[in-house]
Formats: sequence, C-alpha cells, structure tokens
Amino acid sequence: MEESTLALKQQNEELRRENESLRLRLTEAQNANLAKESFLSNMSHDIRTPMNAIVGMTALAKKHIDEKGRVSDALDKIEIASSHLLSLINDVLDMSRINSGRMTVAEELFSLGDLLHETLTIVRPQAEQRQHAFRFDAEDIFAESLYGDALRLRQIYVNIINNAVKYTPEHGEIAVSVSQEESDGRCVLVFTCRDNGVGMSKDFLQRIFDPFERVSSSTLSGVEGTGLGMSIVKKLIDAMGGTIAIESAPGHGTEVIIRTPLRFESVRLNTGPLEGRRILIIEADEAMQELYRRYLGEAGLLFTIVPSSSAAVSAITEADFRGEGFSCAVLGRSVGRDGSMFELASYLHKADSTLTLVMVSDLNWGEIEYRANRSGISAFIPIPFFRKSLINGLAHALQSVESSDAVSAVPDLTGRRILLAEDNDINREIACEILSVTKAAVDCAANGREAVDLFLGSAVGGYDLILMDIQMPVMDGYAAVAQIRAAAREDAGSVPIFAMTANAFAEDIARARACGMNGHIAKPIDVNLLMQTLRQAL
Amino acid sequence: MHPYQEHYLENVREIAALGDFYGISAPDYESWYEKQLQAKARIAALREENIALLSGNLFPALDGLHAASEADIAALEEFAGALMDWTTNLDCGIYLLIHDSLLSLYRFRRDRCRVIKELYMVGMGLYYQGRSLQGIESDATKAFRFRNEMVFTEGGSYLKFFAEIADEQTKGYIIRSLANIAICSSDLARRVAISKRVLQIVQDDYYRSLAPSLPWDTFLRRTHQQMSSNRAVLSKGGLGADELAAVLESCEVVFKPESDTRTPNVRWLWPYYEMEYSCGFVDLPTTLARMERLIEDCPYDSYDVSGLYANVQLPIYYGRLVRDNPALQTKREHIRFLDRAYRKMMRTLLTCPADGFTDFFFYNICLVITDFFEIDGVESYRDITTKLMKRLTGNLYIRSRRAGELMRLCAAAIYRSDPAFFDDIDFLRVLPNGAEKEKAVADYAEQCGLYHDFGLIKMNFERLCQTRELFEGEMRMYELHTISGHDDLAARRSTAIYADAALGHHSWYNGADGYPKAYVRNASPMRQMTDLVAVVAYLNDCGAASAREAIASVIAQEHSRFSPLITAIFSDETLQAEIEAVFARQDEPCYRELYHELAGSGQKN
Repeated sequence: MEESTLALKQQNEELRRENESLRLRLTEAQNANLAKESFLSNMSHDIRTPMNAIVGMTALAKKHIDEKGRVSDALDKIEIASSHLLSLINDVLDMSRINSGRMTVAEELFSLGDLLHETLTIVRPQAEQRQHAFRFDAEDIFAESLYGDALRLRQIYVNIINNAVKYTPEHGEIAVSVSQEESDGRCVLVFTCRDNGVGMSKDFLQRIFDPFERVSSSTLSGVEGTGLGMSIVKKLIDAMGGTIAIESAPGHGTEVIIRTPLRFESVRLNTGPLEGRRILIIEADEAMQELYRRYLGEAGLLFTIVPSSSAAVSAITEADFRGEGFSCAVLGRSVGRDGSMFELASYLHKADSTLTLVMVSDLNWGEIEYRANRSGISAFIPIPFFRKSLINGLAHALQSVESSDAVSAVPDLTGRRILLAEDNDINREIACEILSVTKAAVDCAANGREAVDLFLGSAVGGYDLILMDIQMPVMDGYAAVAQIRAAAREDAGSVPIFAMTANAFAEDIARARACGMNGHIAKPIDVNLLMQTLRQAL
Repeated sequence: MHPYQEHYLENVREIAALGDFYGISAPDYESWYEKQLQAKARIAALREENIALLSGNLFPALDGLHAASEADIAALEEFAGALMDWTTNLDCGIYLLIHDSLLSLYRFRRDRCRVIKELYMVGMGLYYQGRSLQGIESDATKAFRFRNEMVFTEGGSYLKFFAEIADEQTKGYIIRSLANIAICSSDLARRVAISKRVLQIVQDDYYRSLAPSLPWDTFLRRTHQQMSSNRAVLSKGGLGADELAAVLESCEVVFKPESDTRTPNVRWLWPYYEMEYSCGFVDLPTTLARMERLIEDCPYDSYDVSGLYANVQLPIYYGRLVRDNPALQTKREHIRFLDRAYRKMMRTLLTCPADGFTDFFFYNICLVITDFFEIDGVESYRDITTKLMKRLTGNLYIRSRRAGELMRLCAAAIYRSDPAFFDDIDFLRVLPNGAEKEKAVADYAEQCGLYHDFGLIKMNFERLCQTRELFEGEMRMYELHTISGHDDLAARRSTAIYADAALGHHSWYNGADGYPKAYVRNASPMRQMTDLVAVVAYLNDCGAASAREAIASVIAQEHSRFSPLITAIFSDETLQAEIEAVFARQDEPCYRELYHELAGSGQKN
C-alpha cells in the first residue's frame, strides 16, 4: 500500500513536472509566436514603407520618362528608400545571426586612428547636414594598435553617433570622445557620445535594447530607423565583453558610454627614416599645432610649423637657399578645405622636386586620392592621428619615396624601358639625364620614323612608355603616334604615349590626344612634372 | 628681336586696328560693308599667319631653350616685353609663356638671380592676365589667384638673403615681388600687413644701403599707393589701430597733394574724399555733392586715366552709394543724377577712339558690367550692355545676333509642333496658347541667343581669339565666360531670365562632358531653352562648311551633347532651309543696323 502510494506520488510529481515543463514550453511558444507576430507586423510595415516608395516612384518615372527633372527626382527618392531598405535587411540579418549564435566577433589587429577616422568620415556629413556643432576629442591614448573587431566597433560607434545626430534638433551639439584605461593588462577603450537632443524617459531607457523600440518625439519628425540598432549594439557589446551605460532625461540630451576591453600592442615608433630630416608642418589650428609639437618634439625630430601657405613657400625657399631643404611637408587640416590645399601642393611640388608631400586630413581619402596624387601628394595620414600614426605615417611616406614602392617624388623604374623621341640633341641629353634617376632603360630616337622603327622592332611589351616630341624632321610626333597606334600588335593601343612639346595651343594638346597620346608635357621640361607623369602612368 | 617676333607684333597691332568696327571709314553703307568683310577676311588671314609664326618659330625656340644663346633669350625677353607693356597688353599669354619657360629653364640651372627675376615677371603676367577674371567667383579663379600670390611669395621670400645676393637689380625684384603679394590677396588684413611690412623695408637704411642704386623712393610711393588701395578697411572695420593708421597715412601721402593742386587728378582726388567720408570727417551729402561736381566738371570726351576715372568709375561709385544707402533710392534728385551720370558714362565709353582701348579702359568696362546698379529711373542694364557689346565687341554682337535669329526660327518650329514645350518656364506657361505665346517664346529665345555669350564682353577675349588660337590655360579661363555671364545677368532684373542660357550653353545634355559644373540642367526650369541655345551656339560657331553639315554634326551628337527633343526639329526641311538662308545672308542686316547707328551717333569717320 505504502509502496503504491509512493509510486503514485512519484508519478504525480513527474506529471506535475511534466505539466510545468509543458506550461513553460507553451509560454515560450506563445512568447515566440507573439514575438514572431510582432516582428512580422513591424517588419511588414517597415519593409512596405520603402517598397511603396520604390514601386510608386518607379512607376512615376516610367510615366514621365522624357522629363529628366521628374525622373531624376524619382530616382533620388528610390535611392533613399533602397538605402533604408538595405539597412533594414542588414539589421535583420545581424539580429538573426546574433539570435542563432552565428555571430562571431573577430580579434584582429587594427589601428585606432583608422577606426575613428572611418567612423567620423561616415557620421560627419549627416551632422553637418543638420548643422550640429560636432566635436571630437581623444585623450590618454597609449595603445593605438588594438586587437578586436574593428568592423563591429565601427558599426556600434556609427549607430550611437547617428542616433545622437537624428534625435537632436538642428543646430544641436554633439561631443564624441575616446579615451583609454589600462585594466588587467588590457586596454579598455572608452567611447563617449554626448548630445543635447530630445533625450529619453526612464521608462523608455528600460526598453531601449528591445527590438523595434524607437523614441517618439513631438519635436522631431521623419526620423528614420529600423528600431533594431540599439538591440544589435547591446548584443555586439556583450559579445565583446564590454558594457554600455546610458544616461538621459527628456529634454536634457543623452550620454552613452561604451567600454570595450581589448588586447593591445605596445607602440613601436619608427623614427629611423625621419632622423636628421627636416619636416615642415603647415597648420594654422593651434590645438593641432600643439599635437604636432608634442608628438614630434617628444620623439626628438626636427620640425618647423608654419601657419599658412605663403609662410610655407617662404620657409621652403629659405631652406633651399641655405641648402637645408625640408624632406617632407605636412599639409595640415587647416590648409584649405576649399581645394587650395591641392593648389599649394602643386606649387610646392613644382618648386621643390625632393619634397615629400603628406596630407593630414579628416576628409575621405578615397574621394580625394586622385586629385591629391595629381597635385603631388604622396601620402595620407587620417585625422584623428596619434603619436604612432603620425610618426610612422611620416616615416612610411619618406621610406616609400626612397624605396619607391609607392607614390614618390622620383619613381623607381628599374626594369622599365622608355622610348624617347626627340630631335634636339641637348633636349635629348637633358631628358636622358632626368630619366636616369628613375633607373629606367631609355632608348632614343632622333625623329618619328626612328621611333616607329624602334617600337615595331621591339618585343611586345618591350616599351613601358613613350615620350614623343612633336616637331621633328623626317616624321613628326603626330604621324609617328598614328603609326604606332595602328600597328598590328598587342601593345600598340595600350602603351602610354606622352607628347613633349613647347606647342602650347589648346588645339595642339587636343590634337595630341585625338591622335592617341595619353597626355602632354610642356617644354622646357619641368623635372617634377615629368616625374609626376611617369609615376601616374607606370 | 627676331624678324618673326617683329612680324607677329605688327600683325597683332593690325588686328587690333581692324577689329574696331568704327575705325573703318567709307562714304556709304555698301562700301563700308564691303570693307568690313575685307577686314574680317584680313583678320582671319593674319590669325593663320600668327599661328604659323608661333608654331614655326616661337615654339621651336622654347623647345630648344636649353641650347639658346644669351642673344636669343634677350630677344625673347624683348618680344615678351613688347607684347605686354603694362598699358596695351597686346598678348599677355605669350608674355607668360615665355617667362614661364624661362623660369623652368633657370630653375633647372639653379640660377637663383634669374629665378627671382622670372618669378616677378611671371607674377606680373599672371596679375594682368587675371584681370579678365575680375568679378568672377569660382574655384578656377581662386586657384588662379592663389598661384599668382604664391609666385610673388616665393620671389619675396628671398628677402632674408638680401645681403647675400650681390645683384642689385635682383634685389629690386625681391622687393617688388614682396609688395605685390598684396595685390593678389583678397584678404584686406593680409594686404595691409604686407604693405605695412614693405613700407618699413623700403624706408629702412639697412636695406637701402645694401642696394643704393635701386629707386627706393619710387618703391616707397608705389607701396603707399598699394596701401591706400586698402582704404575699404576704413569703412568695413575689423583692423587694429596700427593698421588703420598705416592706411590713413598712406592715403594722406598719396591723395592729399592732389587735393591741393589747381587741376587735380580725379583718380587720386576722389579716393581722398572717399577716405574723408569713410573716416566720418565729412557726411554723405557733402560726399555726394563732391562726387557730382567731379563728374559734371569732367568733359565726356576726356579719355585719359583721370577722365575715365571721373566719367566711368565715379558714376559706378555713385551707384554703389545709392545701392548701399536705401534712403537715397527714394530721393528723386539722386536717381536723376545717377541716370545722367550713367548716360554720360556711356557716352564716354561709346565715343572713346580705338587707340584709347587700353588695359585701364577695359578695366573700366569690366567695372561697369560687374557693378552697374539697376534701379527704376536709370537706363536698364540690358540696354547699356547691348550698347557696349555693339561698340566694343562688334564681332561678338554680330555672332550673337545671328544666334538670336537662329533661336527665333528654331523656337518657332518647336512651338508649332508642341506649344507646351517651354512650359517649365513660368512666364511662358501662364500664357494661353496662341499668337501671343508664340511671339513670347520666339522673343525670349532670340534674347537668349543674343545674351548667351554675355560673359565674353568683360573678359576681353575677343581680340585674343582674333589674334591666334588660345593656349590651354587661356581656354580654361575662357570657359569661365559662362559663370561670369550668368552671375552678371542674374543680378539684374532686366536680364535675369537670360542667365541660365549663359551658364548652360556649353554643358552636355547627358552631363558627360561640357562646362561649367555649376550648371545643373535638371534644376533649371529654363533647361529646354538652354538646350536649344546649346544647339544654336554650336551651329553658329562650329565652323562647318555649310549649314547642312553643321546640322548633321548636331544630329550626330544627339542624346550625348544635345537633347534629342531639340535635334528632332531638324527633320523639318523648311527649318533647314531657313537656317541656310540665315548663314547665306552673311549678317548683312546686322551690319546695316550697326552702320546706321554709327552714322546716327556721328562716330563714323
């Protein structure tokens, strides 16, 4: 009897546990279903909204296909909606990866300077568009080379700053700062973003990391976002072992502090290539000047800071006169965001061929690289920079010039062959002398006929570049180039050919291009211009 | 000079003389027209000759500059000097080409003294060339001025080595380069600072003792003149007491002596009065009265520097005062005076003989086009600029009239096939379809044709284009006529509706090429009309052997350079025939109009 009772009790307990378990699973299933329904409801709205714009605007554009203005307007709107849709999909995929445990956080070496430059490059245009006062500070940076997932950190920082930009009425203030603390042999990267925007209630703060939560505000309208961003941010920070703290009150702005512990590599300054060299810094901003003084001064390097373009030209002229030329000129942030930086670079490049020009800027290098290179700028150091990124960046620029493995004043053309067509003996001699420093092999022709014969007699790919005088006896440069381009061989159409001529008419230059030349170098030859052309062509 | 250089100079002078419509005398219209056609043909022949002279002689000389003898270099320098004598500036481009080449040569040779001299020469060349960019605000203009400033800065930087440089003439170039940094800078504070520094240097016994042969007192006077040109700071403020005192002192040195003479040079007297007004020593009514007296006292046919200053610049400054003091705009007597002053200004400009077309004269033209204040009660900007175009750039006027005629024909053809075609333009859309709207479309189109190259009037490129082909750098400057024309037209009520045509007529329909970037086709409600101007400007200037060939060339570029909506009109055979007829007339009606205006004004010889 007792045994039966015990057995029944056990069965009852098991059944109770099973029921409990089933109830829990039912609740979970119900919650999951609710979450799914909520997710689908939210997503269907968030996806439909941009899709409506895409479908509607596409139809409208087709209807008015001949009206460029309307088509262009519709395309602009489609572009905005597509971009929003893409970010929504990316967020959903991120959430899905995180929830399914497929999200991994990389641990790779990255540069803090590059991470911050990229972040600021992304967020600054939006902040400027909303006319916010945007400030960035970096303090106590002792570790510039860190191990971690730079891509995800950038995603986190961009998300936080973008929220500050979006939830702050126009003409607001946004302050971003980065500092470092050492803890247990690790570097804790402290990122702070403070704004004076609409702020959040305590109630909302408790739900801020839930998916699809967004601040609603009467002072802001049309704020776009998926409502998944903060949820993703939290999960990414958790995955990195970091913390996020938010302080906010309605109408009093928001402060977000993110702490991420990261392994770091000790700073190794490469001052070798800079020792004994004189560096010219062109920078008017006093705070920036102070940074240069601190970093370069503490490293014991020789440098001069001047505040303007004209002071730079004076300093370089004076140094040249004394035979104590600068090795490198740094074009700082204050040197004309309006484009005068490139004018100055061109001028300095023309005046002093040995000068390595380095641009220090918060602009997006990808967007300005072509123009910068054409102006003679050899290297780029992104803002914000720190001790290592500045010194090693300058050292790398000078080393690159010497080893010619990158953009440099005198390109190393070892193993390259140049065909020089020039009828004037002295000009030929001078050109050969100038080209000799590039270590390129140079074959000379005294007229266009000889140049054609040399080209046709060479192996395919035998010449890497042709410099062609225009006015020559027997056959002029135009005819020679026409014959070379018309030759039945693989490299006939691709070998770069540059006119070298004193013919200055715009039509002469257009004619040179029309007959197949890639460009034009004015005579008498300007050494730096020739080097620049060679560097760009080869 | 070498014979080819002498020859080129003669040709340039002959072109300048032939280019003046009103310099050609004849007993009647028929013979006058005949002479005009002959002059046109002669100019074309001289231009070809010039191109050959440069291509066959100057360019090879520059090509072989490394081997050139001192005598050859001296001849080049003399040639350059003759082309730019700071007064007539026959060909600033060649002056610059020569000195730029010499600068490259001496840099290569590391001949420091000659580098310093050439920096000064190139700086001056750039400065004078840059005067055609006056009043044009663009990145290209800023870049040009920046280069100019840097060239002088580099030359002036050698001041630190003044004692070490032996050659005294070179020392003079250093001082003048340093001083001239001020004329390139648009920053008043910087200009004042530079002039202040130079004033100290040129009065310093140390520097004077190192180069006793230099004309230090001339340097001093010129620097005071440069400093006094900064007198705008007196009214704008923003400078410290030392700087203001320095400007005031220079104004006293330069202008005060003139105010004490019996026949003062207005060019120096007015700035003195202006300084007194800016400093509050005299009030606005006194200043206006002084200005009125100076304008009225000067005969309209006084074409020297003082005369042009009184007859042209003072009316413009009077207009500025009226513009800047709205209370004056409500006072009839000032508007009436302004109207009289502007009319007198036009009389001076329109009657000035061609030998008075100096660099200073064109500076005045530029000032009028840039600064003319249009207000009810004075002649419209449209009217005064049309007169200037006829008088100073006759060829441009004839070409633009032809463009206007072609525009009228094409717009009418478009209207016939689609009356709503130009309805993006507000003032045309509101008109009901019919004869009135058709006429409005045709009138507007014609005026767009007439004003599309407006920017060229003040840039003074006409003579250069008649003289030879443009150099690459000049071509980039020439392209700015679109921005220049747009900005000046857009700023006045009577011409604002033609501004987009001036800006966009060299842009491409598909945006792949053309200029300027400032023209955003889709943002302009006038784009259909501007598209038409682009086609007509090409038809007018492309140099095809016949109208039919020009039209074929336009059609070949539809969808890329030209709008297919516009090129579609050329399927109309009647229109093609009408266009052919316009070209066949050789602008005879326009010449006739100019001749009769000339005869009526009594300017014909």
